[in-house]
Amino acid sequence: MSSVPRPLEEYKAADYKSDLKPIWCPGCGDFGVVQAIYRALSAVGRPPHEIAFVSGIGCSSRIPGYTTAYGFNSVHGRALPIAQGIKLANPGLLVLVAGGDGDGFSIGGGHVAHAIRRNVDLTYIVMDNQIYGLTKGQLSPTSARGARTVTSGFGSMEDPVNPLLYVLGYGAGFVAQGTPADMGALAAVIEEGIRFPGFAFINIQSPCVTYGEAHQQLKAHKTDMRSLASMQHDPADLMKAMDLAREYGRSLYTGVFYRNPQPGPTFESEARHRHETLRSSALPKEKILDLFLPH
Amino acid sequence: MGSSLIIGMAGAGGDGIVSAGESLITAIALDGYHGIMTKSFGSQIRGGESSCRLRISPRPVLHPGGTLDVAVALNWEDFLRFGAELTVGGHTVVIYESKTGVAPDQIPLAGVRPAEAVPVPITDMAKEFAGTDRAKNTVVLGLLVGWFGIARESLLAGIRKKFAKKGTDLVASNERAFSGGIEYAAAHPLRSDLRIDPPEPGASAKLLTDGNDMCGAAALFAGCEFMSGYPITPSTEIMQFLSREMWRYGGTVLQAEDEIAGIGAVVGASFAGKKAMTATSGPGMSLKTEILGLATIAELPLVCVNVQRGGPSTGIPTKSEQADLFQAAFSAHGDVVRPVLAPVSVADTFGVTVEAFNIAEEFQTPVIVLSDQEIAQRKETVDPIDTSRFHLVERRRPSEVELESYVRFRITESGISPISHPGMPLGNYLASGIEHNEKGAPTASGEVHSRMNEKRLRKIEPLKRRRDLFVREGDAAAPFALVSWGSVAGVAREALDIAGREGLRLKLLVPKLLYPVAEEVYRDFFASVRRGFVVEQSHQGQLYRVLRMFLEVPRGIEPFCKSGSNPITPAEIVEKVRGVALALQRERGQHLQPQE
Repeated sequence: MSSVPRPLEEYKAADYKSDLKPIWCPGCGDFGVVQAIYRALSAVGRPPHEIAFVSGIGCSSRIPGYTTAYGFNSVHGRALPIAQGIKLANPGLLVLVAGGDGDGFSIGGGHVAHAIRRNVDLTYIVMDNQIYGLTKGQLSPTSARGARTVTSGFGSMEDPVNPLLYVLGYGAGFVAQGTPADMGALAAVIEEGIRFPGFAFINIQSPCVTYGEAHQQLKAHKTDMRSLASMQHDPADLMKAMDLAREYGRSLYTGVFYRNPQPGPTFESEARHRHETLRSSALPKEKILDLFLPH
Repeated sequence: MGSSLIIGMAGAGGDGIVSAGESLITAIALDGYHGIMTKSFGSQIRGGESSCRLRISPRPVLHPGGTLDVAVALNWEDFLRFGAELTVGGHTVVIYESKTGVAPDQIPLAGVRPAEAVPVPITDMAKEFAGTDRAKNTVVLGLLVGWFGIARESLLAGIRKKFAKKGTDLVASNERAFSGGIEYAAAHPLRSDLRIDPPEPGASAKLLTDGNDMCGAAALFAGCEFMSGYPITPSTEIMQFLSREMWRYGGTVLQAEDEIAGIGAVVGASFAGKKAMTATSGPGMSLKTEILGLATIAELPLVCVNVQRGGPSTGIPTKSEQADLFQAAFSAHGDVVRPVLAPVSVADTFGVTVEAFNIAEEFQTPVIVLSDQEIAQRKETVDPIDTSRFHLVERRRPSEVELESYVRFRITESGISPISHPGMPLGNYLASGIEHNEKGAPTASGEVHSRMNEKRLRKIEPLKRRRDLFVREGDAAAPFALVSWGSVAGVAREALDIAGREGLRLKLLVPKLLYPVAEEVYRDFFASVRRGFVVEQSHQGQLYRVLRMFLEVPRGIEPFCKSGSNPITPAEIVEKVRGVALALQRERGQHLQPQE
């Protein structure tokens, strides 16, 4: 799973692909997502050993293992805190985070707002399939009201969360959506998210071929999807982006909803500044206990 | 002259009682005395009644002590609220505000007749000398100096320094209040002589700090570059300290959105190659449990400090308890052995915290430091520590040759596999909470699972042979033994001294490594032992029970334990020891003569 460092331009998509065989069901949307990630990474060109790819638990969270990056397939819902720890410990790394809708908006939902308000430079990719696939078909936080699943046999009595509107509300600087039904556009938004200097969120409608419904499959996406670019949407317009995001669950818009034209400072850039300011005031470590001399 | 002086003071919020205590312990630390100061506040978070107690001695002090030698009450209502902390006995000198209008033979301490009760017009003196009753605490300091002869010059210097920022008028008025107190004491001598010996000649100034700040300093010394936690009493000061100091060393402190995120970020930082820590208390430990398991299976070093408080659940957040040992040792699903260490004092928190980082790095495992509220929040004088005595361990990195065919979880003889980190060319691997083979690939194979479990458990084994993580004191061949840990070990140590003076043959074992249980160390220690107690601050006696899981504990060893917030005193340990020693004497038909 290791990679020999090479000059920048030489990293091809295949260099980011590991030897592990995905365990996903044939036809799963996540196959397309991982291909799009390979393409985006080769476009960005960072060597695999300078990339940390963190996930939680779920079908989609297997994804770091299918890349040659340093991967971390962690526990359910905690990919974002772990990724922040990695990025703050070594800001030179490119840090990707991936997971499903349950990981990001149910068990780990509390972390999203905080990763965003800290503006740690992470790219967070959610593979949203409106179902719990790994545990065989239970209700997810993005399942539609009325959805019949093995835990909602009479139909869901809850409204789904709207991931796009949530993250826009939390203040994310980059918010996009894609589908493996349009691989070129998907790879392009992932690349743009990686290049965005700050927290970037990409929601990917990645269908569950086993437990999903027909209208959620890639075939349906091909006819339903509408690119925001074709609608002349201006990604600098936050209010319009929120307006479009309200259509989540009804319309499949792809592309960039919002890109902050004046991104704020990242946590790690503020930290670097603080280090530079305070470094000269450090006692030598062997004399650290002099801090406790009574005075 | 006595060997130590225990002073307790209480007043209303704004009386500056705690501030006076801080001035006093600072002054005695400068003069080279040993001392411990604890604070206690009323039920309000701020602004309510407050109290502090100090123990001062020319010799090392190991715990805050029991009954007061000197009690200072600025008013009775507030003083009586601290009945548990400020116990008055037959030898106590009670100094109180005469404005309370209480006659010396009428002081409201049910069933207690103190040695003397001395009303002093503290408020009137403050007004007379300083023009304000806000100088009451300075008058009290003058009285203590006058009557007990401690730290006069250092206190005066401290008062000058403290008020210098507030203008020359305040310096002068407080100096007058201080001198007024001293003169009042000179003119009204006490009947009791509670003076203590001066510090040994040439005694140097001590360091002065509490266990939480000491833990933070030790982490920085050990090379910790990342801390993330969530505010929780009584551990928060660790994060507060590091949020001031760690940036200077290029490290980062992240106040996380919750306890889980705190340890999550720490796991991430460790994966990225940095020494990292979190700190919390019981409820936070409960929340961190899942990610502790992740660090175990992903073999990532980290230090997790649990400053124990009363539990379960919210329990008693501001009081000390030692009831989280079961949790520290066993709160994991799966086959996990996670090292648990405990410091016995503020000073000891330095070495134990450094050791925790060393063990974490060497064995690629989370390590839990079980501090407790008592150690964490008490101010203690600390003899200068020679930091060059401590060696620092770095995790084993793969060599260039190993990187050519790198296998992250390679099963080695020691069970420890070289660990790479993102940014290291050729070291790429998948860390995971899912079981994995040596290369890091996920697996459900029972055979691989067994081998990896065996590797992860085997690598910890050498820790059990670390005899340096145990302190043994007393008569090595004694038939009677005490075992104690954490802050209570200081109480047991003092009991050992007292019992020794009474001629009782006794020894003490203090484990700083609580888990895994070092069977050999205990077996050797118990070899001579017929009777004894495991002394600890919990209802069940958790160390006692853990020992019985792993060893043949002699039948005569019993738990001596109390729930948190109920002080254990040396006197009551000695009393228990005396009782059982007599029984032992009868059993053996031997005589235990006092030593000449």
